[in-house]
Amino acid sequence: MEGALERAAALEVEKVSLLYKGSGRGIQDISFRVGAGEIFGLMGPNGSGKSTLLRVLSTAMAPDSGSFKVGGHDGLREKRAVRARMGLMVDRPTHYGDLSGWANAYFFARSYGVEKKKAGGILTELFEYFDLSEYKDDRVKTYSYGMGKKLALVEAIAHGPGFLVLDEPSLGLDYTSQLAYQRKIRDLAASGVSILLASNQVDEVEALCDRVAFLHRGRVLSEGTPQELVSSISGVKRIVATLRNPVEYGAVERVSGVDRVVPEGSDLVVHCQDRAGIVEDVVAGFVASGGDITELSVRQPNLEDVYVKLTGEALNNAKP
Amino acid sequence: MLNLNPPDAYWKKDVVAFFSRRFALIIKMVYPIALIVPVAASSIPPEYIAAVIGIVAIMAGTFGAGETLTTDLNDGILMRVSLTPIPPQRLVFEVLSVNVVLDFFQLLPPLILVFILNPAPPVWVAAALFGVFMTLVAANCIGIFIANFTSSPADVLLYATAILFPLIYISGFFRNQNPEGIMEVLRSLVPFAYMNDALQAVFGMTVQTSPAAVFVFPTIICTVMAVGVCLTAPRLLSPRL
Repeated sequence: MEGALERAAALEVEKVSLLYKGSGRGIQDISFRVGAGEIFGLMGPNGSGKSTLLRVLSTAMAPDSGSFKVGGHDGLREKRAVRARMGLMVDRPTHYGDLSGWANAYFFARSYGVEKKKAGGILTELFEYFDLSEYKDDRVKTYSYGMGKKLALVEAIAHGPGFLVLDEPSLGLDYTSQLAYQRKIRDLAASGVSILLASNQVDEVEALCDRVAFLHRGRVLSEGTPQELVSSISGVKRIVATLRNPVEYGAVERVSGVDRVVPEGSDLVVHCQDRAGIVEDVVAGFVASGGDITELSVRQPNLEDVYVKLTGEALNNAKP
Repeated sequence: MLNLNPPDAYWKKDVVAFFSRRFALIIKMVYPIALIVPVAASSIPPEYIAAVIGIVAIMAGTFGAGETLTTDLNDGILMRVSLTPIPPQRLVFEVLSVNVVLDFFQLLPPLILVFILNPAPPVWVAAALFGVFMTLVAANCIGIFIANFTSSPADVLLYATAILFPLIYISGFFRNQNPEGIMEVLRSLVPFAYMNDALQAVFGMTVQTSPAAVFVFPTIICTVMAVGVCLTAPRLLSPRL
């Protein structure tokens, strides 16, 4: 992979700040750049400022201070030019439910200036790619959540944007659709499209992104390639336990060397230091909590571990 | 031949959506007939027949754009559309114009029946139709203006009542029929008043407003209102937090 900083900048964000008047929360002094053909990941838990940053970069909201450029166009003064070059997929896509999927996609393609003659061909190809052809004439209100997400992806890329903003794009997609989506993202990046991918799906970010920035309480905490970030932490272990029944895991959290315990589906993920005997102590903690372990694995650290190490907080801040 | 489906503009999307919901379409087409025609065929004083038609037009107009906009704002879809390169002012202009035309389409059948039941000079029939159209423009402008302050269709009803009640009063539907002084000036600034006069003329009443005035003054007033609400577009289409 060529050095990202050497590429021409598709997105330049310079000291962007936006604080909400009521809560005082928001984003502060955010700066980063995304090169042409680069996939840049943005990770951070709820309340980290991810959505606010995307609102600013999508030109929905003006920042209190700072600036950003998309393809050399000022995001504050040349909004129309920026919007024309940008493909956008929001985290909870909405459509006109009484219109067909095809009508929705056609409407957006034409709104982005795709010529009438070309729109049909482009959309046919994308509908086939994402397995939506069979449902293209169905009203969108009959679509499943995953189909709605795929339609939103079609709408985001049909006009051939130079810069793509995707907010949790794979959430709700089935396995086959996730593979198709990841292949499409790689193809787009290879053709020079720059992609800003906001996601807390660690596997997805590690698999797709050239570089990643962690957001924490409205600021960029750390930035680098996934490999750089993961190798920056040493002496860290990740123990994943599958339990037959949900338990209170306070005893595990109190084990010496445990940084954090995070529920992920039916698993409990223990972020901890790599000291002798810690696996035994963690298992003892689960047993003391009344947990019946059906599966246990000790894994290499990933981006989630980096985030926990840096902030003491989990990326997916769900509670049991 | 105008190709509406698939839609390639916001107004076409609204037209396609309007005709795609068959049950809703039947209700929308039937309720103005059900409200207006029995009143027009009755023997109640003509000023009240004109008032009922006027109020139906005002309500249809206000809730037309207001309901469409707030529903789309609630869904988040309008926010998404506003992030395309289409200028927000154009989007709001399309919302306004398509809702006016669709509302007029709804009101046209009962109005034709009214004119059949009450034959009147063609100039007054034309003036009444134009007055209703301009009332729809004004009412839709009010609906869009209200949508600046709420994303709830129910709130549109609430705020509309507060705004429309004094306007209906000033227009002389029931009271203020022979205004003087400041009330006369205020009445001349409300497009609903010209529609009311034209409808009263259709029902054989003598009115002081000329047909030309029904065509000229509401056009000027509604143009100002339309420009005004289009200028609110950036605020209207910004995220509601």
